[in-house]
Amino acid sequence: MDIPALKAKLDEARYIYDDSLVTTLLVALKLGRPLLIEGAAGVGKTEIAKVMAHALDRDLVRLQCYEGLDESKALYEWNYQKQLLSIQVQMNRQDPDALTRSLFSDDYLLPRPLLQSIRAEKPVVLLIDEIDKSDEEFEAFLLELLSEMQVTIPEVGVVRARTIPFVVLTSNRTRPLSEALRRRCAYLYIQYPSLEKEVAIIRARLPNVNEHLAVQAAQAIQRLRGSDAILKKPSIAETLDWVSALEALGISDLTDESARQTLGFVLKSSEDLEAGEAVLSGKSGEDEGCGHAHDHQHGHCGHCAGAGSQ
Amino acid sequence: MTVYLEKLAEFSALLRQEGLPVGLQETADACEILSCLDLGDRGTVRAALQAVYAKSREEQAAFQRAFDGFFVSAEKRDALRRRHAAEAEALARRRAEAEQELQVNGQPMDLREDLQEVYIRMGDRSREQLRQLLEKTKGNLERSPQLYSNFIRSVFMRFLLEQQMTMEDAASGCEESDPDLALLYRDISHFKDADIPRAAALIAAISRQLDAELSRQKQGAAHSGKLDFRRTIRKGLETGGSFYRLAYRRKRRRKRRLVLLCDVSGSMLQFSEFALRFIKSMSEVSESSQTYLFSEEIHAVDPFALQNMDAFRDYVRASGLYGRGTDLGTAMEKLCASRPAALGPSTTLLILSDTKTIDLPRAGRALLEARQRAGKVLWLNPIPERKWPYVRSIQTMQMLCQMLPCSTLDELARACRKMLK
Repeated sequence: MDIPALKAKLDEARYIYDDSLVTTLLVALKLGRPLLIEGAAGVGKTEIAKVMAHALDRDLVRLQCYEGLDESKALYEWNYQKQLLSIQVQMNRQDPDALTRSLFSDDYLLPRPLLQSIRAEKPVVLLIDEIDKSDEEFEAFLLELLSEMQVTIPEVGVVRARTIPFVVLTSNRTRPLSEALRRRCAYLYIQYPSLEKEVAIIRARLPNVNEHLAVQAAQAIQRLRGSDAILKKPSIAETLDWVSALEALGISDLTDESARQTLGFVLKSSEDLEAGEAVLSGKSGEDEGCGHAHDHQHGHCGHCAGAGSQ
Repeated sequence: MTVYLEKLAEFSALLRQEGLPVGLQETADACEILSCLDLGDRGTVRAALQAVYAKSREEQAAFQRAFDGFFVSAEKRDALRRRHAAEAEALARRRAEAEQELQVNGQPMDLREDLQEVYIRMGDRSREQLRQLLEKTKGNLERSPQLYSNFIRSVFMRFLLEQQMTMEDAASGCEESDPDLALLYRDISHFKDADIPRAAALIAAISRQLDAELSRQKQGAAHSGKLDFRRTIRKGLETGGSFYRLAYRRKRRRKRRLVLLCDVSGSMLQFSEFALRFIKSMSEVSESSQTYLFSEEIHAVDPFALQNMDAFRDYVRASGLYGRGTDLGTAMEKLCASRPAALGPSTTLLILSDTKTIDLPRAGRALLEARQRAGKVLWLNPIPERKWPYVRSIQTMQMLCQMLPCSTLDELARACRKMLK
């Protein structure tokens, strides 16, 4: 696959991209390296894996990371109940060694996403989502898979990949990842889209929405993201939800009133809603105050400024 | 292909100098990917090499600088060539002029080569000032030639040092591409009012990262080796009563008590505010902490006053500590005398100060006493590390306790990491 072919596939999936993103995807594909994508929440990191699955015509296998995730949830687990039943049933069998061997065979193995992805007949896209939420031990455990495309199961031995998956790892940067993991990946950092790109995304995803409303909504979102008073910046998915809601309500022009009524689709906490209304109605003025309901004795609000994202 | 490899190897070496951990694998990957791309498209080459070489947002900023310096566009290359030729010509002319100007009694002045270079590269105004100074002090030459020679050297050394400091304080170059990153590496004392909200947001983000890092480190700590019977039996129920997996008691970790001694004399207020933000925003820092503010006096701070940093400034101003000199010796003596229980073996004493105190020997003695009482003493110093050799008080205090440089937010974050390990 080359750059024009990949671009054609992304166009087919109605994914709005820039040239550097396509080049990075191609680098990861050509070198067979996992792709590590970092960026704030809601910039479209996970979407890339879905789009690549579509572009490469592969299945998507997803592993959602969380604190405490271990190999029994990510790689494999023995089916204990089935093993115990088997022992009970075959208790009087003549050859106990054969019984022990059979207990650790494929019949009793429950493959989890990582094992599924390397044992698949057809290559898949493996999405390891929010790797920064997992523990450092799990990160170290992934190294063997990412560099050698194999895993070790103590009772079975080394399981080599039948097909090589295209691996996408995403991280919200809540903690720095290890150097060892980074070194094994191609790297991509995604920022929030510019105004033009956001309008293009709305047009691609919601083709029935009128142009005027799309531009107005994108401008409003950009203002909200640019404000230090908003703690949780709106994501692209929230932009799309908001525009859909406006359209469903038959609103074709975004006024202060209509924005106020529907802002809950974009901002998800009462403090943010309050600050967001002030930002959109032009009353906040970043220099005058933050929009939060407390007194300001100085030029900036410690609470609000301290809680803004990078 | 050989030419590619050689150039890429040079580029890899340059990236290593920039601090990127580039290995042979990255160079080989870069070579492989370039062989299947259109080399005429600079943007594509940049994006492809960036994906291979730069593995974090910070590394991307360093990569961009190195790429622009190494892979120069044709127009820029011509312009550079012309500029270098003009500079070389001007330099030769100035060298000849300097030889004429740096003479004493018709003889060339006895100056080291690097100091001569300083003179050559000086602006016209500085050169004129220096010539006037030399002219004014010429009378000393006959009285004491050795003293005069030392004086001349010291004048040149001062110019050299000033020039170096200007170079070191120059913006890191990534200001345009990423203002947040630039803020991370800028001297805290150079922050303007407009930078403060962004800096505060940056501190909050870094603190969250540190917090997450620490909580994970602690979760991953090894077990105590003692079996946890209750959890083992409960887990055994999942496998029909067989104890397939044993559960162990977790190691109990004792957090340290933290005593913060924070200098809020005039020049230190801004740094102290930032440092306190950092330390206070990390929930994992310590089991309990006590904060004392000092300049010539010492005050224990109500922890609620530190929750809101706007109120912190008001508190400092109202306390009468602001705008006065620094007397670390008195502050520590008072702390040890009035709160003898504050410092103990499980305490970490954290001093935030630039070491510029009155009565240095007394401060040294007080620090020694505090070191004997507290389990650990750490000093966070906002003066850039490169200037430490020139400050006597820093050298003295450095011998008495561990000192960490904290002139930038990045250094402050690193110090916090170190402090907690």
